[in-house]
Amino acid sequence: MNTGNKVITIEVLRYRPEQDTAPVAQEYIVPFTDDMSVLQGLQYIKDELDGTLSFRWSCRMAICGSCGMMIDSVPKLACQTFLRDFYPNTVRVEALAHFPIERDLVIVMDDFMEKLDSIKPYIIPEKPRALSEGEYLQTPAERDLYEQFSSCINCLLCYAACPQYGLNSNFIGPGAMALLHRYNLDNRDSGKEQRMPLVHAEEGVFNCTAVGYCSEVCPKKVDPANAVNINKTESASDYFLRFVTPKGACK
Amino acid sequence: MSARGPARRPFVRSMEGWWRKNPYFIEYMVHEGTALFVAAYALILLISITCLARGEAAWNQWLAVLTNPLCIFVHVLLLVGFLYHTWTWFNIMPRTLPPIIMNGARVTAATITRTGLAAALIASLIIFIIAASLAS
Amino acid sequence: MESFKADVAIIGAGGAGLRAAIAVAESDPALKIALISKVYPMRSHTVAAEGGAAGVVLSHDSLEHHFHDTVAGGDWLCEQDVVDYFVAHCAEEMVQMEHWGCPWSRKPDGHINVRPFGGMKIERTWFAADKTGFHMLHTLFQTSLQYPSIKRFDEHFCVDLLVEDARVQGAVTIGIASGEFTFIEARSVIIATGGAGRVFRENTNGGIVTGDGMALAYRHGVPLRDMEFVQYHPTCMPGTGLLFTEACRGEGGFLLNKDGYRYLQDYGLGPAQPKPVNKAMELGPRDRLSQAFWHEQQKGRTIEGPHGPVVHLDLRHLGEKYLRERLPQIYELAEQFLGVDPAQTPIPVRPAVHYTMGGILVDGNCASPLAGLYAAGECSSVGIHGANRLGSNSLSELCVFGKVAGEEAAKFAKAAAPGNSEVLRKQAEATQQRATHLVQNSKGGERISVLRREMAQTMEQGCGIYRMGDEMQRTCDKLAELRQRFVHINVQDKSRVFNTDWLLAIELGYQLEVAQAMAVSALNRRESRGAHQRLDGFTERDDANYLKHTLVTYSGADTPVVSYGPVKITHSQPAVRAYGAAGEKADADRAALDEKAAATGGRSA
Repeated sequence: MNTGNKVITIEVLRYRPEQDTAPVAQEYIVPFTDDMSVLQGLQYIKDELDGTLSFRWSCRMAICGSCGMMIDSVPKLACQTFLRDFYPNTVRVEALAHFPIERDLVIVMDDFMEKLDSIKPYIIPEKPRALSEGEYLQTPAERDLYEQFSSCINCLLCYAACPQYGLNSNFIGPGAMALLHRYNLDNRDSGKEQRMPLVHAEEGVFNCTAVGYCSEVCPKKVDPANAVNINKTESASDYFLRFVTPKGACK
Repeated sequence: MSARGPARRPFVRSMEGWWRKNPYFIEYMVHEGTALFVAAYALILLISITCLARGEAAWNQWLAVLTNPLCIFVHVLLLVGFLYHTWTWFNIMPRTLPPIIMNGARVTAATITRTGLAAALIASLIIFIIAASLAS
Repeated sequence: MESFKADVAIIGAGGAGLRAAIAVAESDPALKIALISKVYPMRSHTVAAEGGAAGVVLSHDSLEHHFHDTVAGGDWLCEQDVVDYFVAHCAEEMVQMEHWGCPWSRKPDGHINVRPFGGMKIERTWFAADKTGFHMLHTLFQTSLQYPSIKRFDEHFCVDLLVEDARVQGAVTIGIASGEFTFIEARSVIIATGGAGRVFRENTNGGIVTGDGMALAYRHGVPLRDMEFVQYHPTCMPGTGLLFTEACRGEGGFLLNKDGYRYLQDYGLGPAQPKPVNKAMELGPRDRLSQAFWHEQQKGRTIEGPHGPVVHLDLRHLGEKYLRERLPQIYELAEQFLGVDPAQTPIPVRPAVHYTMGGILVDGNCASPLAGLYAAGECSSVGIHGANRLGSNSLSELCVFGKVAGEEAAKFAKAAAPGNSEVLRKQAEATQQRATHLVQNSKGGERISVLRREMAQTMEQGCGIYRMGDEMQRTCDKLAELRQRFVHINVQDKSRVFNTDWLLAIELGYQLEVAQAMAVSALNRRESRGAHQRLDGFTERDDANYLKHTLVTYSGADTPVVSYGPVKITHSQPAVRAYGAAGEKADADRAALDEKAAATGGRSA
């Protein structure tokens, strides 16, 4: 796999708030082998060329969700994107779109953390269950219903792929909706009624215009667009059902 | 390090021209744009019905307009827009549906898209055949 | 300096830290919890655990079996009373995880499913496909959001503990985004910062696994226990060290040498059977499998790859459909990182550093010798892993002892007298001075990456799968040298906002001290036991002299002091560690002995 002395240019959009008024591009020449990821390229820069470059990373195996960034304008995890796929061209690397840049490739993600908190991402049981009662029964088919949505690693690539979130960050967005849907679909959960107001809300699912790019870029095949759009149907039927059911489906 | 006061100054990037920055977004905008073609043809149909209701003279006049080469060209354009809209619409359809389980397995996205396109094709053919037989 | 007054401060928000936080919150909602993590909690390295978590559920299994597998797997260097407590509480914690929403894989009837795992006699590994750690971490994190008493300090890097009146009373952190310090006052502190695998070159660990908490406790006089025991996982990606879970073998994968031969049968793990047999062949314990790789390499029976010798992990006979269902992440890893379709081609693998068995000395209540300081998870040495950890015991450990640590720290906090805030603040300010000094006055010529690389290289040379006295001595000398050179470290980045260069320097300081504790412990253990195997005349286990825990105590810039502590043995006397057919025979003999002892009314040895 070692192919000798190939070098590739990595252009990083840098932003150091204490010295830059706006982001500026900086180029680095990086020797690489065919098995090197973009993350490894950035690590080379940090270790050998420029210790001031900042980026988040940890697991290197596409599960911790830290290293999401725009790579040639596409939201990707740097650890599972390979330099060989860009050579001999320059790779352009930029902080995830639609989020404020804290510094260099690091975004401010407080907004997502608040949204995650707001969707009540935990089992709200119908009634408390003692440990002595053992596990809830859940067939593989019941598990399969929500499993895909539970695979979200919170890497935020979907938010960087969603122009509606970029235009209006009040929109709850694909990732948080996928997780909301995940809990609503879980047969152990009875909290749907508490979560649906978020779906119906002004900032809820109807901000989505079915661009679909969020699902396209998801590294874990969560398909957040599916979660959002199923909830549009749910929300619409809820709206009409309240005229025919005495209580209304939900508030 | 020595300077006091908050050093954080998050930079918010502009969204201007966002849809031109990514081929996926361009395709999305074209898809959304072709919805106007659908609206335009609905308008043409509406005019046709109104002319029909106003009597033979009005109808013949409208027919003359419709057979004008420029109008035929507009129809061809609309047809292309329609086809593109249909194609992209059925491509996004699997993302909007709850899981469909058949024979214990989930129906794949490709199957849903293909089924949709096939249904559109068959419906179009039926309408075309009826229209053709009425015309002859 | 910002300040926050907590009852319990928890450093580290991975599996153990989150479980502890929930335990504190549930034990008394009035207790204020500061949950400090240098990353967002869901980035913690628990996320990367793949295979599963142990907990006895099958009717033909028993706590005694789990106990024996664990103690024998740990080569009898376990605290047996703690192991007893552990095995008795695993299943309960797994059910608790289930109630909180963990998507455990299920049987067709809806009950949870268990899979076999290395060194485990009977299937007892609960799993969520091959993303068990990911699901457990996200379940714990998301569940923790419903407790208002948990105040999170995400991306806050802990630089020191505050110790006053001989008890720990808080911590000082750097807010990574702002570069500002926070003084966190607390009546008790739990360390749950995970392992230190990044002190080695090839490892399965995330970049954040730098032994921070171990170093923090160590610097305040808390001994680190059994640090010489470092686990090499036998099936990792060459070069990057990324992990191919043991579940690959639990599901029936083979390990083949260059002749396509299942070589493990040559190392007391056979006979080779077509189907996986618990505690045999590929389902032997990790230390044995990594050692067998080393021997194959010596015999020239490994395959030469671009990143050194490898063997093959063969999953082809399991078929694509089964692999996609049971090992989806492994499938993707092989495809994306190696360009290998595991249903068509065997995966090249080699051992890499995976886990630190040792850690902060704590008792069965997770309490360290420093009053008010608790530890749980990989950073701690509560005594269940001994000289070699069994796969799937660590995820269970996070839950069982995370909870214990939380409850005990809560109890301590409620009983503790309030601290003197002014004195503590002064201490915190001094800490701030020291930490900023590292950046301001770093005009020295030593580069972080160079020192880190030299550390990793020397650790690999001296503290690898097989060890030699002179090599370990060289590693000890090298680490002492690196610690001296660290004084002249140059932090290139002088800014405040998200200055990762600064944090890397502080982490390197932690790593060098933890690495030294490992190397010194290894050098002084003149026997072979579990993951500590020597080739220089100490090739056998020596219970007469070394059935005891190594304790390393910090002594500033000098070489740390090594002492030894007793091992708690309740009812399993050291015996031969046997696997494969020999293991089955040993188990049968033991059962016969037990029966005889029961007949005569005594407890078996």
